[in-house]
Amino acid sequence: MRKPLFHIAAVIGLIATALSIPVAAQGEPVRVAEFLAECPISHRLPDDPIVLPNLAGASHMHDFFGNHSTNARSTQQSLEGQTGNCNPAADISSYWVPTLYRDNTAIAPTGVTFYYLGEGVNNPAAIQPTPYGLKIVAGNAKATGDADSIARWSCLHAGHVNPSKNFVTCPAGTMLETYLDFPQCWDGRNLDSADHKSHMSYPVAGGCPSSHPVSVPKLRMVLRYPVNGSTAGLRLASGTGQTMHGDFFNVWPRAEMERRVRNCINVVIKCDHNGNHG
Amino acid sequence: MKVLLLAGLLAACQQAPPPPPAPVAQNGYGATERAFVELAIATDEQALKLLDLTDRSELKENRNIELTELRKLLDAPYVNNHAGHDMPGMPTDAEIQLASTSPDALDQFVRTHLTESLEVVRSAGSAITHPPTAEVVKLMERHRTAELAAG
Repeated sequence: MRKPLFHIAAVIGLIATALSIPVAAQGEPVRVAEFLAECPISHRLPDDPIVLPNLAGASHMHDFFGNHSTNARSTQQSLEGQTGNCNPAADISSYWVPTLYRDNTAIAPTGVTFYYLGEGVNNPAAIQPTPYGLKIVAGNAKATGDADSIARWSCLHAGHVNPSKNFVTCPAGTMLETYLDFPQCWDGRNLDSADHKSHMSYPVAGGCPSSHPVSVPKLRMVLRYPVNGSTAGLRLASGTGQTMHGDFFNVWPRAEMERRVRNCINVVIKCDHNGNHG
Repeated sequence: MKVLLLAGLLAACQQAPPPPPAPVAQNGYGATERAFVELAIATDEQALKLLDLTDRSELKENRNIELTELRKLLDAPYVNNHAGHDMPGMPTDAEIQLASTSPDALDQFVRTHLTESLEVVRSAGSAITHPPTAEVVKLMERHRTAELAAG
C-alpha cells in the first residue's frame, strides 16, 4: 500500500501549529520534517561489521555507502575521523545493503538517498538526535515471503506499477527502486543488541512505546537501480526481493546531527543537504 | 508525556560522551565468537545437504563432528540467521538442486564449499580469542585443508 505521505505531512504540520512550534518566517518553508544525505556506493565487500563483527570475508556481499573505511572490523572509533562520499560530506556514517544481482552480475544502485524524517510519531518536537554510534538493522534478511517482509519495491517514474514486497517489472525508461524505513524508537540505553534489533522499535499509534521511549528521526533509505524489464534472474545476496534489509551505523558528528534535528525535524521543516532551509 | 520527554532527554544526555565499546570479557565468548559459531552451524548444515549427494563419507563425518563441537559452544538457543543467503562456503538450495543432476556441478560446488569455508575459517582464526572456540576453528581448518588435499 502506498504511504499517504502528504496526508501525514499535513497532520504533522497541523500538530506543529497546534503546539505553537516556531517556524522560520522568511519564504514559505515546506512543512515536512526532513533532512537528508545522498551517498553513492563507496565499495563492495563480503563483510558485515554488525552481524559478523571482525569476520572479514564471512558475509554475503554488501554494497557500502558513505564511510569509505567500513569493513568487518569497523567500530565507532575506527569510523570516526574517516571520510565518506555523502552529500553532505559531514555525514561519515556507514550504510549498507545486500548486493543486487541479475544472474551473476552485480548491479550497483545509481541513486542512494537517506532521508531523516519526523513522521511516524505525533510529536516531532520531542524527537532526539540519533545517538552517536547507534547501530540499526531494518528489514528481514530471513524473510521467506511477503508475510514476514517489510520490503517495498516500485518503479521510479511509473507510479501505475503497484509496489510489491518482491521485485517488480518496471517499464522501459524507468528504474527499479526500493524503500526501507528503519525503526525510530530507541530503548535509551543500548547502541546495539544481541539480535541487533531489540534495542530499537517501530512506533505504536503515533508514539514510541514505554520499552523504547526515545524517539529519533526515522531513517528512510531509497535506492534506485538501473534496472527495468523482466525480473528474471534478479536476486539479492540475501535471496528474494523480500529479504531486502539495510544496516546503519551512525557516525554523524554530534553537532551536525543535533543541528539538523533542531532546525529541521523538531520544527517540521524540509531542509537541504546542509541542514538549512530557505 | 513530560516523564517520557524527560526520560528521553536524560537518555540523550547520558549517551554523550560516547559510551565505551560493549564490555566483552577478554578471551570470552563475545559477539565475534557467537556470530562465527552461528554462521558455521548454518554453513555446515547446508553443506551436509550437498555432501549427502557424494560418496565422500569423511567429509560428512567431519561436518557432523564440527556441528557437535559448535553446538556445545552456543550460549543461547540456535537461530539460523543465514538461511537462503549466498554466504561464502554455504551451498545455495539452487546449487544443491543443480548438483543433484550434474556430477560436474557437484564436484565444483563441493570444492567451492571447501575453499570458501576455509577462507572464512582462516579469517575467524585471526579474529577469535575465546580458547574453546579457537580450538574448533583450528579443527575446522585442519579438516578442510586435508579434505582439499584429498581431492
